[in-house]
Amino acid sequence: MSATDESGARSLLDRVSDRLLDATVLERFGIALASILTAILLGLLMVAAAGYNPIIFLNNLIVGAVGSERVLARTLRISTFFIVTGVAVAVAFRAGVFNIGVQGQFVVGGLACAMSILWAAPYLPSGSLGGVGLMLIGTVAAAVSGGLYGAFPGVLKAYADANEIITTIMLNFIAIGVVSWLITNPFREAGSTNVQTEPLPANVGLPPIVFGESGFSVVGLVLTLALVAVVAVVMTRTRFGYDMMTSGYQASAAVYSGVDAKRNVVATMSFSGAVAGLASALFVIMYQGRFLEPASIHTYGYDAIAVSLLAANNPLAVVPAGLLFGGLNSSTSYIQIYSDVPVQLIDGIVGIVILFVAVPELFRMAANRATTGGEDE
Amino acid sequence: MSVVEYASHRRVRLVSLAAVTALAVGVVATVAFDIPLDRIFTAGYVARSMEMAAPISLAAIGGLYAEKSGVFNIGLEGFMIFGAFFAAVGTYFAGGGGAVHAWAGIVFATALTTVLAVLFAVLLIRYKADQIVAGLGVWFIGLGLAPFTASIIWGSRNSPRMPGVGRLTVPGLSEIPYLGRIVFDQSPLVWLTALVAVGSWVFLYRTNYGYWIQAAGENPEALDTAGIDVNRVRYATVIFSGAMAGLGGAVLLAHSSSFIGTGQTMVDGRGWLGIVAYLFGNYNPLGAAAAALLFGGVDMLQGQLQTLNIDLSAKLLGLLPYIVVIVVLTGWGKTRVPASVGEPYETEE
Repeated sequence: MSATDESGARSLLDRVSDRLLDATVLERFGIALASILTAILLGLLMVAAAGYNPIIFLNNLIVGAVGSERVLARTLRISTFFIVTGVAVAVAFRAGVFNIGVQGQFVVGGLACAMSILWAAPYLPSGSLGGVGLMLIGTVAAAVSGGLYGAFPGVLKAYADANEIITTIMLNFIAIGVVSWLITNPFREAGSTNVQTEPLPANVGLPPIVFGESGFSVVGLVLTLALVAVVAVVMTRTRFGYDMMTSGYQASAAVYSGVDAKRNVVATMSFSGAVAGLASALFVIMYQGRFLEPASIHTYGYDAIAVSLLAANNPLAVVPAGLLFGGLNSSTSYIQIYSDVPVQLIDGIVGIVILFVAVPELFRMAANRATTGGEDE
Repeated sequence: MSVVEYASHRRVRLVSLAAVTALAVGVVATVAFDIPLDRIFTAGYVARSMEMAAPISLAAIGGLYAEKSGVFNIGLEGFMIFGAFFAAVGTYFAGGGGAVHAWAGIVFATALTTVLAVLFAVLLIRYKADQIVAGLGVWFIGLGLAPFTASIIWGSRNSPRMPGVGRLTVPGLSEIPYLGRIVFDQSPLVWLTALVAVGSWVFLYRTNYGYWIQAAGENPEALDTAGIDVNRVRYATVIFSGAMAGLGGAVLLAHSSSFIGTGQTMVDGRGWLGIVAYLFGNYNPLGAAAAALLFGGVDMLQGQLQTLNIDLSAKLLGLLPYIVVIVVLTGWGKTRVPASVGEPYETEE
């Protein structure tokens, strides 16, 4: 066989595999789109069944997400939390580890962030340099504590065979209970009737660019996108990420190629938990300026499962999925004020999205039937 | 290993764990906090623990049937939420006044969750859904839609006060000290649960259908070769598991005063406790019920310690069952999972 023949065959093979890859990417995109559209459609049907006007509801959904600059800032702020927690879930799911504990890791990380900044504040200068130092301390504290809280169920799974789905859910309940107790008792703001920590010093916070004092900073969005890029590179371009991904796709192949499966589970859970911790550092520093009753914080960690699944557990695809969920969630505040429709419907829609994403076969069959022209082809 | 040997081996482990736990709690209680144990383990406490254990047991028994046949029903928590909510709706619209209405609510809830379980089974078996993701989906749908519908019906995520089913009191026998209150003056739903536990043990280990279920999870090819439709067996168990979790939720409502739809709803992780209960009970319905009793007891300990004015935060004490779950899973995690759990079965035609 001549060299040109071989390269011709090679390029043909490449083209075929490219097309296959395109097909699956397209197919995944189609499934995600079909899932979200069907779920929203079902939601609208329920709105109608409950006696409200679904058109007005849909309008509120859109106006409440992107209708004004103030609302857009809120949507982007919430989206950053969904994107980072979504990446935390994607890291674990990609590696075949079901970390349902992102909410707990978020809560533990957030408390660690706020408390470490409050404790360190007296030892650092009060200028902007001191502020940057405090934010670094808080971010590291959040990542480390979130990572450790993720590593714990990882160790239990690797060395005691304890199902991580259940242990992480239990650890969510425990984290919320313990952190709530801590903020109610020893860490409570002196003299406050609210369950919250002391406010962070004035030099801690991201600069308000473009959107003013909205609890959203463009710097936060840039940091979020940078984190997504770093995680994507780690997942696809490093040995660590490669080992994690192979373990997810084919555990036996990973073990055969020399991956220590147990250590890999612990590493994955630590990594995932650390990213969840980073999400809460952003939540505390950019938005809240303190930490508060964890039971009152939105369940970003649970919704992040839907975000990640919608993105086929791909860190890059988490960005659009996170924006979509940010919009959906942002509009709940609007709907709560301007309509009588109970906002828990949005949580239900999130659940339906997850259910549909779990059943790609459903849409595949529907698509096949549509392209072959139904029964009477 | 014969069934009897197997069961007794299991029993030894369960009893020994229960003994160790009780001893540890006892030592900590008497030494560290100077708590009079006889004032904690009152007949009322044991009876209430059984009431608390009943919903967990029912969900656990349903879940173990599904998993025995090869399908991991991780949606138990969601089905329990639906069960509790539908029971409240049924009771409310039946009249909401007395025990009859409570029973009507229970029947209504079980029927409706059975319908939902049929849909879920179709997604899992016919459309080969990812069992873990779909199960999580059911949970989230329950967490969202039950409070949503509650808000529409009652204008609040919580229902108004609901009637219970009362107690089944055997005249005379209920006067026996201690045992009388626990056994002969007990909620009829505890009796129902005990009946379901024993019945499902007999069905699983003593009938041909039971062997089919076990074979569907262990060796579906062999069952197929023997001419039994594997997927039909799995449909039956998944639908049963949803119905039992729904019944469990309804029982939970009947043992409480109203439906609570805030936060994690009134089910508050009991479906997850159900999964752990059957893992702990090694897929044996009686073992699962015993494990559920342990969780029920831990759950009720909170109120018991508070009546004694023991100064421990209610919030922290409420976390005890979750901590016990982690300890149990860590110590007893290595249960023998049926060989083909999670794999859809394709008939070779």
